[in-house]
Amino acid sequence: MISNFIPGLIMIITSFLLPTIPQYFRHPAMLLSVGLSALSLFNGYGTFLEWDILGLNLILYQSDSLTLPFAIIFHIAAILVIIFSWHSKNLMEHMATLAYAGSAIGALHAGDFFSLFIWWEATALTSVFIVFAGNTNAAKDAAMRYLIIQVSSGVLLLIGACLMLYQTGNHNLAVLDLKTNFGIFIFIAFGIKAAFPLLNGWLQDSYPESSVTGTVALSAFTTKLAIYALARTFPGTDSLIWIGAIMTAFPVFFAVIENDLRRVLSFSLNNQLGFMVVGIGIGTELSLNGTVAHAFVHIIYKALLFMSMGAVLYRAGTTKASELGGLYKYMPFTSIFCIIGAMSISAFPLFSGFVAKSLIMSSLGGMGMVLIYFILFFASAGVLEHSGIKIPYFAFFAHERKNKVKEAPINMLIAMGIAAFLCIAIGVFPKYLYQILPYAVEYQPYTLDHVISQLQLLVFAIIAFLFLVKFKLYPSEIRSTVLNSDWFYRKMLPGIGKPLFKKIGLLTDSLYKNLGLSFKQVLSKSYKFSNLSYIKVTTPSFAGTILISILFIMLVIVLV
Amino acid sequence: MKKNDLKSMGKSFTKYILIIGALLILLDFTFHRHEYFSFAEIYGFPAFFGFVSFVFIVMLGKWLRKFLMRKEDYYDQ
Repeated sequence: MISNFIPGLIMIITSFLLPTIPQYFRHPAMLLSVGLSALSLFNGYGTFLEWDILGLNLILYQSDSLTLPFAIIFHIAAILVIIFSWHSKNLMEHMATLAYAGSAIGALHAGDFFSLFIWWEATALTSVFIVFAGNTNAAKDAAMRYLIIQVSSGVLLLIGACLMLYQTGNHNLAVLDLKTNFGIFIFIAFGIKAAFPLLNGWLQDSYPESSVTGTVALSAFTTKLAIYALARTFPGTDSLIWIGAIMTAFPVFFAVIENDLRRVLSFSLNNQLGFMVVGIGIGTELSLNGTVAHAFVHIIYKALLFMSMGAVLYRAGTTKASELGGLYKYMPFTSIFCIIGAMSISAFPLFSGFVAKSLIMSSLGGMGMVLIYFILFFASAGVLEHSGIKIPYFAFFAHERKNKVKEAPINMLIAMGIAAFLCIAIGVFPKYLYQILPYAVEYQPYTLDHVISQLQLLVFAIIAFLFLVKFKLYPSEIRSTVLNSDWFYRKMLPGIGKPLFKKIGLLTDSLYKNLGLSFKQVLSKSYKFSNLSYIKVTTPSFAGTILISILFIMLVIVLV
Repeated sequence: MKKNDLKSMGKSFTKYILIIGALLILLDFTFHRHEYFSFAEIYGFPAFFGFVSFVFIVMLGKWLRKFLMRKEDYYDQ
């Protein structure tokens, strides 16, 4: 019976039962549900549950060698998040987190595009409550924008799935290309959640606005689900190599000047996704293994970094670099865990990032892609800059701190400790990670050439940092907003849209006047009129503007 | 705790990093470092690449502030 139960579903059911469970037992119940869901990891490969409905055959539960590593790490991430949030009494956030993790795990096991669509939207609808739980006005606004973008991604996926079914009679997950119109729809749907260049604004907009614990959950699932989906449907798609390379390089510059350290980590997350996307674009067994390995270790160290910044936010009340510094004295364990996360993401030998990134770099080198290879090598120096140095340096060192703060609560330290342990364990014993990768590939990351080369890069990048600080060339922390691609729909579109709709309002106003009709007869009374000759049209929010533009673009594409 | 804690930590950190850096460069002369691309096998190439990339990233980022940086309440206006 349990073998036919969709993985993750038990977590969603538990999340709905949480309000009936006494506060004291909620976290154990959440852990238990993740444990029950994790039993599915031992089911082996195959198709376990199908459902015929409305003439469609939905594959609700299937598993193969690509599903398994993602399923394992999603369960681990869920456990980390639950432990990290043990102190919190925010019921809504707990429910959302558990259902969100469950939906993401369910999505991994979908075997057709319609089932995937259902889970795809479920992750959007559940995770928006996590952003919402940031409980500030900024978080609420960001949550609405987040919802619109995420749901739009789902709508594009649905359109793609329908077109595919209509044109080919098939809707099962399969390798697609960009020569078909449904392929393009699905590609963009995945691209939004994978934070492709210019489609990435939602990530840096919403993640840093979420709560202390919420950001940790958010960082793990949505984007990696998109990476999984891309790896399944678009392996070897050449354009992904360039898209990925741009993703690795560009966020680096934004991260340098960003003041909010959780936003710096969001840019860094984007850069990390770039490495995975390049791996998918190359499409060889080695590179796809690299993508999966990178997603696996990335979820752990990125969660670790977000947890350490969450702990800082919880104790010091802010993650703004301009306000922090000197916390190492008061939060020594958090500092150490953060540094372990920083060294892992920077890919120091003996840390998890090294053994995963090497696979992607080796496949690039093996294919002779010199330019992309060095863009990624360059981006590695960038990773060191923003995640390896900037995060720990500005939070825990930089300058002495005047007011005391307490060390993070014990549950946070445990969660960070487990993540830090995994970062080192995987780095030291990579063979256990390699065993669960989709393809059986013999690979040795620890060659003298490779270790020395990577250490030279990293150590001299650190020396560059010390040099820049010494000569006061390193940019100081300034309280500011850094423009990102969300600017287009937060400032530009409303900037064009609002006056435009006002104009349309005036136009219709005069039109009706000429027809001899009064507005009160035409429009409902709920509209407010300042006077008859001028109407104060309720200008649509940026949200409306985006929706209208997306619908318009879709209409154009479909017609073409 | 002493007031100059961070300063002395920074100094000793700098010292050790410079020593490690020097050792890594010296190591390069003791064996032939195989790379995928022959020009990367030049002595100290990754070190040079890392240093220059880092400085480039920071300086370009700093310059981009002119175009990308706005007040903290920019979106609330």
